[in-house]
Amino acid sequence: MNARFKTKFKLSTIGWIFILPATLLLLLTKFWPIIRALVLSFQSGVGLNTSFVGAKNYIRMLHDNLLHTSIFNTFFYLLLQVPIMLIIAIILAVILNDSRLKLKGFFRTAIFLPCATSLVSYAIIFRSLFARDGFINLILMKTNIINNPINWLSSPWPARIVIIIALTWRWTGYNMIFYLAGLQGIDPSIYEAAKIDGASAFTSLRKITIPLLKPMILLTSITSISGTLQLFDETKNLTNGGPANSTISISQYIYNLSFAYSPQFGYAAAVSFLVLIMVAILSFTQMKVGDRR
Amino acid sequence: MKRKLSVLLIVAMLVTMLGSCGTASNNKGGKNNSKSSGNALTVWCWDKNFNIYAMNEAAKIYQKDHPDFKLNVVETPWDDVQTKLTTAVTSGQTGTLPDILLMQDNALAKNITNYPKTFVDLTNSGIDFSKFAQYKVALSTVNSKVYGVPFDSGTAVTALRTDVLQKAGYTINDFKNITWSRFIEIAKDVLKKTNIPLLSSQAGSPDLVMMMLQSAGTWTFKGDKLYISDNPALLKAIDVYVELVKSKVLVEVNNWDQYVGTFNTGKVAGAMTGCWILASVQANKDQKGKWAVTNIPKLDGIENATNYSSVGGSSWLVLSTSKNKDLAIDFLGKTFAGSTELYNTILPTSSAIATWGPAGTGSNYEIAHEFFGGQKIFQDIVEYGKNVPKVSYGVYNYEARDAIGTAITKIISGTDKAAALKEAESTVKFQMGK
Repeated sequence: MNARFKTKFKLSTIGWIFILPATLLLLLTKFWPIIRALVLSFQSGVGLNTSFVGAKNYIRMLHDNLLHTSIFNTFFYLLLQVPIMLIIAIILAVILNDSRLKLKGFFRTAIFLPCATSLVSYAIIFRSLFARDGFINLILMKTNIINNPINWLSSPWPARIVIIIALTWRWTGYNMIFYLAGLQGIDPSIYEAAKIDGASAFTSLRKITIPLLKPMILLTSITSISGTLQLFDETKNLTNGGPANSTISISQYIYNLSFAYSPQFGYAAAVSFLVLIMVAILSFTQMKVGDRR
Repeated sequence: MKRKLSVLLIVAMLVTMLGSCGTASNNKGGKNNSKSSGNALTVWCWDKNFNIYAMNEAAKIYQKDHPDFKLNVVETPWDDVQTKLTTAVTSGQTGTLPDILLMQDNALAKNITNYPKTFVDLTNSGIDFSKFAQYKVALSTVNSKVYGVPFDSGTAVTALRTDVLQKAGYTINDFKNITWSRFIEIAKDVLKKTNIPLLSSQAGSPDLVMMMLQSAGTWTFKGDKLYISDNPALLKAIDVYVELVKSKVLVEVNNWDQYVGTFNTGKVAGAMTGCWILASVQANKDQKGKWAVTNIPKLDGIENATNYSSVGGSSWLVLSTSKNKDLAIDFLGKTFAGSTELYNTILPTSSAIATWGPAGTGSNYEIAHEFFGGQKIFQDIVEYGKNVPKVSYGVYNYEARDAIGTAITKIISGTDKAAALKEAESTVKFQMGK
């Protein structure tokens, strides 16, 4: 008895020692700053002269028009871009998983490659593609779809659409890899059986692929949603939040509050916590809805 | 045995981790020591062909009398200077800051007011500020104390393609000392005859409107009070800008590269902003001899309106955390505030036009510039600089500029002017916490 207890104790101690370095590092580099930011979010003032103001920063958010604009923009990207991207990713994954397809490796690499480009450089390339005298306008004019060049990035709605196109280009391949991995785990005999029963390609996608990919869909939608809520590089580099703040994201607003404007770190920290709360709520609902084990 | 081995490995890992932390901090200490020791200064600035070049030339001049002097210029883009400064000061890690840094004039008042103890008050440092263009000194003055040594001029100029003007039957002299209504009249005519617009700007950027605002000696604040929706010069400037866009004599593009591209490729026949733009104007050698420079138009019917203004420009600040403050002040005093030779050397290659009065006597300032058809542009610009109205940009300059930029975009797309400006005002007020 005593000996067994000893071994158990020894085992768990060794286990703890193994996870100790990572835990300590996480506590030091992640949790400690989070706690400090929480404290900061209850302070207010400009630059170094700050004092505790209680929940004032959180109340302030209710009246902040620019914050409301940035939340609207971010949710617009979220509600339109995430579903489009995930649907395209599933379709691509199913096509690329087909055993009859040739040059599979090439297509997989080609679709995944955008994901390996730097956030800033692809944003700059999109910026020049969608310039007034850029490639996209040139194609549209030559094919007589439009008569006058569209100033994509200087008009609110076209600018938002460009950001959605850019995000989809960049991240579809990334999500496709997850689905491909998920598809490898599905037994081909299920599809064979379905085929024998006379199921169409669409039926087997709807009745077999999607239900069996559910855990992957859950994972990718949570990461995509939290990624979009923290969107920064694309809007900063493509439009810099313009025109007239119509594309500004919440993260860019936080950046402006801290560095572009007279620094208000307390308020910026409070807005960051708002993002945290939104990510937490959305992920929680999704897990509740998606996870029916 | 295996367990013992793994424990041993973990211990070894922890020891090396702690060890590396230790050495890292030692290294840092060593670096700081070498930086602050004796005759070396560290400087942050951002443009290799412009301010970094000027700084290195200044060091060469200072080294003639101080052979031990060493200068370490760290290339730091302006956005990074602001971010690093804010982070270092708010976190108390001031050891990471340099001895001298270059700051955009737009951000001077903001940073000095927010972190007054971070910068050295140069009012009684022995540097004679009366010799600088007074509008520049006003920008780096906070609470009657001068904090910055002015560097490059942001004096506003109108640069135009003389060959295009000629086709439409005009010369550069038709643009000298005129008003905006006259400018738009000529520009429309030029557009009609040549199909080339005279101006371009970045959509949403308030630079041109702010330039007009300063030309009338006013800004977005009157003392501590916001001065936007009831500022006659601003209302007029926005009208002018909207008319420029609507009459198509001004083309709006999306970013800086496209902006420079408009006049480099000849799609637009002019540029109107701070004189530092002339370096970019000269990028296309095919246009040599086809450009000329004059002053900017003035606002019609506005009290104190002038043909002179300023856009951009920057100043040197000494940090109070520096261990070589006196050396830094002496260095700046003997070079950027005391050497005609320096400004004369850097002028031809960098086109950095001095705001220090005596520099204008340097021989290079008299050069008849070939690109500008033999015009003595540097002398002219120094003269314009003497007439630029003094304004103070204030702590909330970026907030106000952004809000006005947003308002302009909205007005152009059809929002009522008064409503858009009221909204801009309430946005800035909100950001000021009022």
